[in-house]
Amino acid sequence: MSRVHHGTRAVPRLSRRRVITIAASVGVGVSAASVAGLSLAGEKPAADDSAPLVISLRDARKGTFDVFSGGSRVTLTDAKLAAHLLKVVKRA
Amino acid sequence: MSSHREAPEISKDPVADSSDLYAFVSPDHPDTVTIIANYVPLQLPASGPNFFEFGDDVLYEIHVDSNGDGRPDVSYQFRFRTELRNDKTFLYNTGPIESLDSANWNRRQFYSVTKVDAHGKATVLAAKLPCPPCNVGPLSIPDYGKLAADAVHKLKTGEKVFAGQRADAFFVDLGAIFDLGTLRPFEDKHLIGKTLFKGPGDAVNATNGLNVHSIAVQVPTHLLRRDGKKKVRGRDPGAVVGVWTSASRRQVQVRHGDKKNEDIEVGPQVQVSRLGNPLFNEVIVPMAQKDLWNSLPPSEDKRFAGFVAQPELAGLLPVLYPGLFDNLAALNKAKTPRADLLAILLTGIPDGIVPQFQNSTGDIQADMLRLNTAIPPAEKENAFGVIGGDVAGFPNGRRIADDVVSISLRAIAGATVPLVDEKFKPDAAATAVEQGLSIRDVKAKPLEHFPYLPIPFDGFNNPS
Repeated sequence: MSRVHHGTRAVPRLSRRRVITIAASVGVGVSAASVAGLSLAGEKPAADDSAPLVISLRDARKGTFDVFSGGSRVTLTDAKLAAHLLKVVKRA
Repeated sequence: MSSHREAPEISKDPVADSSDLYAFVSPDHPDTVTIIANYVPLQLPASGPNFFEFGDDVLYEIHVDSNGDGRPDVSYQFRFRTELRNDKTFLYNTGPIESLDSANWNRRQFYSVTKVDAHGKATVLAAKLPCPPCNVGPLSIPDYGKLAADAVHKLKTGEKVFAGQRADAFFVDLGAIFDLGTLRPFEDKHLIGKTLFKGPGDAVNATNGLNVHSIAVQVPTHLLRRDGKKKVRGRDPGAVVGVWTSASRRQVQVRHGDKKNEDIEVGPQVQVSRLGNPLFNEVIVPMAQKDLWNSLPPSEDKRFAGFVAQPELAGLLPVLYPGLFDNLAALNKAKTPRADLLAILLTGIPDGIVPQFQNSTGDIQADMLRLNTAIPPAEKENAFGVIGGDVAGFPNGRRIADDVVSISLRAIAGATVPLVDEKFKPDAAATAVEQGLSIRDVKAKPLEHFPYLPIPFDGFNNPS
């Protein structure tokens, strides 16, 4: 979907700092760096903490997350965070 | 078609769909190579109020391999950005557009050009270059040719670039070919066609009158060669470069509905479209693997070599045209790997096979459009390229007027087998088969200068 520019600026709702704070509070361990073969030259990680960040829970049982930000993807494992998120989702 | 809608997934994503790729020594500047990648295929010119444009969320790239490993040594990246002048109107333009900064032009596109070297070092060569508008019609754009010429940008680093709408110069009888492999000039010889037709028919150019969006770059040749030499001999391996184009999208997109400006696109770029040799993904790769092929770099093409060695179409021709391809049928039956096609499509033709010609990049199998940059432009082009005795044409790169459909048909039908097996006698039909079209069946004439592709068909007069 194209994003047309006419004076207004995108306002990210989820900041990198916010997500890292959540993660740290439940003891997240980053287990993998950016994924080989997907990154392209000229693509950089998000430059600042206000950049949008998206987390995907790939494997709920193992607690495997993909964290997408800027031009990169980081994989991390945290079963407790996964369980907590699932609980929140079920309540919603 | 060459690569218009050639795979299931990309056929639903036309903004990122590469349709044709051209690479040739520029006829008017033979010390440069011109590469043109077409996207957004099959555009009906009368498409208001939302005329076609590049995707702001797509990374378009043109890659050049200069050492034969199927990986890019030079990549040109093109990123687009759309700007709206007036958010109170539904109109593309509110009056005639006579310049690229016309206040009457409401929805404009700009792009940046980034060059990436073999080590991944990226350098932004230019930013906010204007695209020309789409060819709305003569009232909106009185002199489209001049306006588009103003959108040819010369970069400080020596390259020329253009990105915008053009007429599709590819010619193909799509309706016939995908109706059970019919070639209208031979329709009365077709297995089923012989019950319907009493004689040969006239081919129809299915893409005539339609537009595309082109990304064109003209590069001083030495900037592409592996050793950076300004002059090389045609037999020198360093004379040959492999070219392909790709389009990629961010791995994640989050849409916020009415709050469009809060949409998020993050994560690594994921390749969704690729094009090297015309028709490779279209007629060589099985449908079940076409999307996979689009996601991979040429360095992974070894896994598709089996489909080149035993192409499905070669098996179909003797069935569809009984009695015309008996020698090909015998070759198929013997399951002889098609070393001619493997060379043409995946490694290039080595020295000593075709007089005064080679475009080999070595042993690594990779689908790339291979161009011997030391071969000068032909004084008089033959649309059949190398098999027509014109070594400046396809499969030595690809020029606008090359009849790549007929060349590919002849090659698959066995016309090029003698390059690797002198004892093989091609069927008479293999050296005569053609789709029955030429560049003259495109009702817009190619330019004699960069960006070479014709001025786009305008929406007022097309369709008519």
